[in-house]
Amino acid sequence: MRTIILKSASSYLLPVLLLFSVFILLRGHYLPGGGFVGGLVAAIAFVLDAFSNGLDKTKGILKFHPGFFMPVGLMIAFLSGISPMLLAGLPLMTGIWADNPIPVIGAIGSPLFFDIGVYLVVIGASLTIIFTISESV
Amino acid sequence: MLGAVLLGFLFSLFLVFAGSYFRGKLAVLSSLIPLSLFVYFLTFIPEISSGEVIYESYEWIPSFGVNLSFTLDGLALLFALMITGVGSLVFLYTSAYLKDHKYLDRFYGYLSLFMAAMLGLVLSDNLMSLFIFWELTSISSFYLIGFNNDKADSRKSALVALGITGIGGLLLLGGAVLLGDVVGTYRISEMLSMRDAITDSSNYLLILLLIFGAAFTKSAQFPFHFWLPGAMKAPTPVSTYLHSATMVKAGVYLLFRMTPVLNGGDIWHTVLIVVGAITMIYSAVHIIFRTDLKGILAYSTISALGILVFLIGIGTQAALIAAAVFIVVHALYKASLFLITGIIDHETGTRDVTQLAGLRKVLLPVAIAGFIAALISGGVPPTLGFVGKDLIYESTLHFKNNAVLLTIIAISTNVLLFYAGFVAGVKPFMGKLPKKFEKLHLPSPLMWVPPLIMTIAGLVFGLFPSLIETTFAKPIAMTQAIAFEDFHLKLWHGFNTILGLSAITLVLGVVLYFTLKPSHALENKIAKLDFIAPEVLLLKLSEGFAVFSKYWTNFFQTGYLRHYISIVVAFLILLLGYLIFSDFSLETDFSTLADLTIYEISILLMLLMGVLYTVFTKSRLAAVAALGVVGLSFSLLFLFYSAPDLAMTQFSVDTLTVILFVLVLYKLPKYLNFSNKWLRMKHGVLSVSFGVLITLLILRVLKEPKNTEISEFYAENAYKLAHGKNVVNVILVDFRGIDTMIEISVLIVAALGVFGLLKLRLKTRDKK
Amino acid sequence: MTNDIIILPLVVHLFFSILLMLFWNKVNFQKVVSMVGNAIALCVAIWAFIHVYNNGTQIVESGNWPAPFGIVFVGDMLAVTLVLLTAIAGFAVSVFSTISVIKARLRFGYFSVFHFLLLGLNGAFLTGDIFNLYVWFEIIIISSFVLISIGGEKNQLEGAVKYFALNFFASMIFLTALGVLYGLVGTLNMADISLKIAEVKDTTLVEISAVLFLVGFGIKSAIFPLYFWLPASYHTPPSAVSAIFAGLLTKVGVYALIRVFTLIYGGDSFLTTLLLFLAIMTIFSGGIGAIIQNNIKKVFMYFIICHIGFMIGGLALFTEVAMAGVIFYLIHDIIIKTNLFLISGLIYRIKATTNMKKLGGLYAHYPKLSLLIAIPLFSLVGIPPLSGYWPKISLILASFNAQEYWFFGALIFGSLITLIVIAKLWSEVFWKDQPKINFPKKFIYFDQLRLGQKFTFVFPVAFLTFVTLYIGFGAEHIQQLSQRIAMELMNNELYINAVLKR
Repeated sequence: MRTIILKSASSYLLPVLLLFSVFILLRGHYLPGGGFVGGLVAAIAFVLDAFSNGLDKTKGILKFHPGFFMPVGLMIAFLSGISPMLLAGLPLMTGIWADNPIPVIGAIGSPLFFDIGVYLVVIGASLTIIFTISESV
Repeated sequence: MLGAVLLGFLFSLFLVFAGSYFRGKLAVLSSLIPLSLFVYFLTFIPEISSGEVIYESYEWIPSFGVNLSFTLDGLALLFALMITGVGSLVFLYTSAYLKDHKYLDRFYGYLSLFMAAMLGLVLSDNLMSLFIFWELTSISSFYLIGFNNDKADSRKSALVALGITGIGGLLLLGGAVLLGDVVGTYRISEMLSMRDAITDSSNYLLILLLIFGAAFTKSAQFPFHFWLPGAMKAPTPVSTYLHSATMVKAGVYLLFRMTPVLNGGDIWHTVLIVVGAITMIYSAVHIIFRTDLKGILAYSTISALGILVFLIGIGTQAALIAAAVFIVVHALYKASLFLITGIIDHETGTRDVTQLAGLRKVLLPVAIAGFIAALISGGVPPTLGFVGKDLIYESTLHFKNNAVLLTIIAISTNVLLFYAGFVAGVKPFMGKLPKKFEKLHLPSPLMWVPPLIMTIAGLVFGLFPSLIETTFAKPIAMTQAIAFEDFHLKLWHGFNTILGLSAITLVLGVVLYFTLKPSHALENKIAKLDFIAPEVLLLKLSEGFAVFSKYWTNFFQTGYLRHYISIVVAFLILLLGYLIFSDFSLETDFSTLADLTIYEISILLMLLMGVLYTVFTKSRLAAVAALGVVGLSFSLLFLFYSAPDLAMTQFSVDTLTVILFVLVLYKLPKYLNFSNKWLRMKHGVLSVSFGVLITLLILRVLKEPKNTEISEFYAENAYKLAHGKNVVNVILVDFRGIDTMIEISVLIVAALGVFGLLKLRLKTRDKK
Repeated sequence: MTNDIIILPLVVHLFFSILLMLFWNKVNFQKVVSMVGNAIALCVAIWAFIHVYNNGTQIVESGNWPAPFGIVFVGDMLAVTLVLLTAIAGFAVSVFSTISVIKARLRFGYFSVFHFLLLGLNGAFLTGDIFNLYVWFEIIIISSFVLISIGGEKNQLEGAVKYFALNFFASMIFLTALGVLYGLVGTLNMADISLKIAEVKDTTLVEISAVLFLVGFGIKSAIFPLYFWLPASYHTPPSAVSAIFAGLLTKVGVYALIRVFTLIYGGDSFLTTLLLFLAIMTIFSGGIGAIIQNNIKKVFMYFIICHIGFMIGGLALFTEVAMAGVIFYLIHDIIIKTNLFLISGLIYRIKATTNMKKLGGLYAHYPKLSLLIAIPLFSLVGIPPLSGYWPKISLILASFNAQEYWFFGALIFGSLITLIVIAKLWSEVFWKDQPKINFPKKFIYFDQLRLGQKFTFVFPVAFLTFVTLYIGFGAEHIQQLSQRIAMELMNNELYINAVLKR
C-alpha cells in the first residue's frame, strides 16, 4: 500500500483534511457539520496517513497516544456541561453564550466547547481503536 | 414476657463471642438460663389457674400488622413450663453428655436459639410472629440435627427435616396471610370472636388446607412423618428436647390454638381424626420392627403425636382435656426415655436393643427411672399415664361417630406404646448382664438425675391429678373448648367400661412384651416393604425431579448463541404476530404517503442487492464490502431526505467500519463455512417473518396521525434560543446534549475495551 | 421542584471516570481514588434521598429547556432509592475490587469503566426521557461488556460474546419500540407520553409497542424465555464484576419495566396476563436450574433468574399492595445478590475453587465468617425476620386478593427451592469436611494475606450484611418507604404533575 502516489498525496491531504475537519466542527451550529463529523474526518485523515506512511510515522505526528484525547475531550465536554451549574446556578448543560458573536466562528458559548469536546473524543476513540487493531494483527 | 423470649436469643448471641469458655466445666452454668425462665413461669400459675389470661403487646412492624403480641393462658403456660422445664434438664444433661466437645458452645447457642424461638411460638398472640418463631425453630433444628456435621447421614437427615418442615412453614405463611386478610388482623385473641366469619368465607377450605399442611409436616403426621426417625441422627439431647418434647409438638400446639378459631364442624373433625388415626396406628405398628432404641422411641413419638392430632380432631371438651394431659404425660416419659437411651449409648456404645440386657446391675438409678417411665408410657396406675389413658378412652367412647372403631384404634395404639415403653425402659435392664458391659459404671449425676426427676413427677402427678387439673386442664378447657363444663381429674373413677378398657390394654401390653422380641430379622422383613414407604417415594420423586430439571435446563441452555437468539426472535414473532393479526386490515391508505421517486427505488434496489449478497456470499471480504454498500445506500437515503448531517456521519462511519473490518479480517479465514441447509432455512424463515412483521408494524404506525409539537418547538427555537441554524446539531449539543455526552462516553468505553481486549491476554493459570 | 442535588451522583461518577482515565498507569492511585469516589457518591446519594424524602419529587431540566422539550431528570422516591442502593452496592464492590481483581486487569482501565457503569445505572434510574433511557442502557451495556471481557480469557470471551449479542439485540428491540412509540405520540418525555398515549386510537398498536418494550427490557431483566445469556456469562468475570452485575444490571431491566408499565401502559389485561405467565415460568425455570448446579456461582445465577420472577409477577398483579412487595423485594434483592457474589469471591480466595464438590470445612475453620455468610444466605431464603421474608407477605397477600393461585404456588415453589438448595449448599460448603483435593500451588490464599488485606476482603461483605440486617429488622421503615413508592407509582399524576406543570 505504500506507493509513492499515496505517500505524496497523503502528505498534502493530511493537513488539508485536518483543516477541513476543524472547519466542519466550527460551522456545525449553522450548516451541516458538527463535532461528530469533524472528528470522523480528522480520524480518516490520520488513518490515510497511517496507511501510506506506516503506523509509527503517524504516531510520531500525534506525539502522544490518541487515547489521551479521550479523557481530555470528555473533560472539556464535562466542564462545559457543569459550568452553568457552577457559574450561574442554572441546570446542567444549559447553554451560556457570550453576548457578541465573533466573526468567522460565530457565537461563542458552552455548546461550542461541548462540540469541541465531542470532536476530540471522536478522534481519540476512533484512532485508539484503529491503531490498536492494526498493531495487534 | 418479651424479655423471657429474648433471653434465649441474647444468650445465643453472647455465646458467639464468649463461647470458648463454655466448653468445659462452665457449661453447667448455661442451664441457669432455662431454669430461671422455668421459675419465672411458675409464678404465673396462681393467676392462670383462676382463669385469667395475660396479654402483652409491643409494636414491631405495624405496616405489616406484625407485632410482638403475647398471650399467657393455660395452653401457653403448659407449653412454656414444658419448654423451660425439660429445657433446664436437657441443658444440665448436655453439660455432661457432650463435655469437652469442641463445638459445645455452638451446641448451647443453637439450643438457646431454639428454646427462645419455641417460647416465642407458644406465647405468640400474633399469627405472623408465631410464623416467624416457627421458622426459627426449623432453622435451629436444622443446625442441631446436623450437629455431627462431618457425617454424611447427619447432613442428609438435617436437609430432609428442613425440607419437610420448610414446606410446612411456607404453607403456614400462606395460611396466616390469608387468614389475616379474611379477619383483618393477625391477632389470634381477636380472631376468637370471628369463627363464623372465617368458616363462612370462601377461603375457608384453602386456609384449612394450608394450616393443616403446616401442622402435619411439623408434627410428623403421615405421610410427612419420615423426617423424624432420620432426625434421630442428632445427639440425644436434641432428640429429647426437640424431637419428642417440644418442637414436634408445635404443630399440635397450632391446631390446639386454632381450634376455637377454625373449628368449623365436620371437615375439621374428619380430617384431623383420619390423619391422626392413620399416623397413630401406622407408626405404632412400626415400633415392632425396630431394634435401635432411638428408632423405637421415634416411632412411638410419631404415634403419640398422632394421638394428639386425633384427640384435637375429636374436639370435645373431654378430648381436649385428654390431649392436654397427654401432652404432659408424653413429655415426661418420652424425654426421660430418650435421656436414658443416651446414657445407655454413652456407656455401652450401642443402642441395639437386641444386645442390651442386665444393665440394672451397673446403672441402677437409671433402671429405676426407666421402669417408672415404662409404667407411665403404658398407662399403669398410679401414674399420670393411667389418668391420661382413661381420658383418651373417655373421649373416644363418647364421640358421636364411630365410637367403637375409634376406641379400638386407641386401644391398639396404647398397647403398642406400652410395648415400646417397656422395651425401651425395662428390657435393657432385665436379664443377664453380658460380659462386655461388666466394667461399666454410673455416669455423672447430671445425666441420670434429670430422667429420675421427670419420671417421679409423672408418678406424683398421677397420685395427685388435681395439680394438673387446676394448673392446666381447667384453664385450657375454658379457653379452647367450644362449650365448657366443669370437671375433675381423678385417679380412680370407679368400676366402669373405661377401667375395663384400661385393663384390657394393660393385659395385652404385657402379653405382647413377653411374646414379641425385637430382632434384626423383623427389621429386615419390613425393609422389604421400603419401596412403598413415603420416604422412599419422596426421594425417588425428588431424584426424578432432578433429572427432569437437568433435561429442562440443558434443553434451553445449549451453549449456542444462535439458539438463544432464535428463541428470542421466535418469541417476538409469536407475540407480534398474534397482536398484529388480531385486528388486521389489509387496506393501507397510501394516499397520505409521499410519492415514490426513481431515486428511492434505485437506492432500495442497491440496498436489497447489498443485503442479499452479504447473506449469501461465502467470501468474508465480499460480505464486508457488501455491508459497506448497504451503509452507503443509507447515506444516500439520508441525503435524499434532507438530512445531510446524518448522511455525512453515516458515510464517515461506514468508511471507518469497512477499514476496521478489513484489518480484522486479515486474521480470519477467507471463506465461511455455512451451517447445514435445514438450519439455514429455519433461520431464514425466522428472519424473514420477523422482517415482515416489523414492516407491517411500521406501515400501521404510519397510519396514525403524527404529533409534531416537539419537532416544531425545535425548528422554531433553534436560532432564537439556542443561537444555531442547524437544527440537527442544536439538538445534539443543546436540546438533547446529555444524550451526546453519554454517547461519547460510550465511544470512549468501547475504545478502552478494544485496547484492553487486544493488549491484555491472560492465561488461565495466572488467573486471580 | 427543582434541585440539582439529584443529578450530583451523575456528576460525581463522570468526574471520577475522567480522573481515573487521566491516571491510567497509576493503579494504586486509582484504587484509592475509586474508593473515595464511591464514598462521595454514597454520601451524595444519601443526601439526595433525604432531600426527596422530605420535600417530594425533584426535577432537573437539563439545558434549562422546559419539559417536554428537553431531557428531564426526575428524582422521585423510586429513583433516589435505587440511586442510593446503587451507591451502597457500588461502594462495597469498589472496595472489594481493590483487593480481589488482579493488577493486570486494573491496569487496563477497570476502575474508570466501573465508574462509567455506575454512571449509566444512576442515569437510567434518574432519567425522565425514554430515549435518554436508551442512551443510559447503551453505556451500561458497553461498560459491562468491557468489564466482562478485560483479561481476554477464553471462557470470559465466550461468555462476553453471548452477553453482548443478546443485550445488544435487546437494545435494538428497545429502539424499535421507541420508534413505534414516538411515531404514535410524537414525544420522548415519559410524563408527556403518559398523557398522550391515552389519545392514540389504535390500541393494538399501543399493546404492540408495550410488547416490544417487554421483550427488550425482558431480555435485560432475565425473564423466561429470554434469560439464557445470563447463565452463559455471569460466572466468567471476576467476582467483583459478577457482584455488581448480579445486584444491579438485571434490576435496571426490572426498573424499566416498572416505570414503563406504571407510567405509560397501565394495567392492560393482555400484558398483565402475559407478564404473570412469564413470571411463573421464570420462577420455575430459574428454580430448577439452581437444583442441578455444582458451582456456587451458578447456583446464585439461577437464583437471580428465579427471584426476578417474584418481582415481575408482583408487577403483573398491578395493585398497590403488590407493588409495595415488588419494591421491598427489589431493595432486598439488590443488596443480597451483590453480597452473594462477593461471598463467592471470598470463598474462592479461601479455597481456590467455587465447586461445591471440592469445598468443605468452612464451618469448622472459619466460624465467625460462616456466621457472617449465613445471614445473607438465609435472608435469600426468606427466613424471618431477615430481609427476604417481609416482601413475601405483600406478594402473597396480593396474589390472594387477585385470586392468582398459580402465582401463589409459584411463590411457594420458588421459596422452597431456594430453601432446599441453600441448605444443601450450606451442607456441602460449610458442614462437610474438606475433601482431599490438590490445591493449586501458585495461588495466593486468604490465609496468606496480611491482616489489612483480609479486612478489605471481608469488610464489603460485612457492610452489605449489615445493610441486610437493617432491612430485615427495620422492616417497618422499608415497608413504609415501599408503600410510599407504590402509591406514587400507582398514581402517576403525581409524577406527571411534577414533571410537566412544575
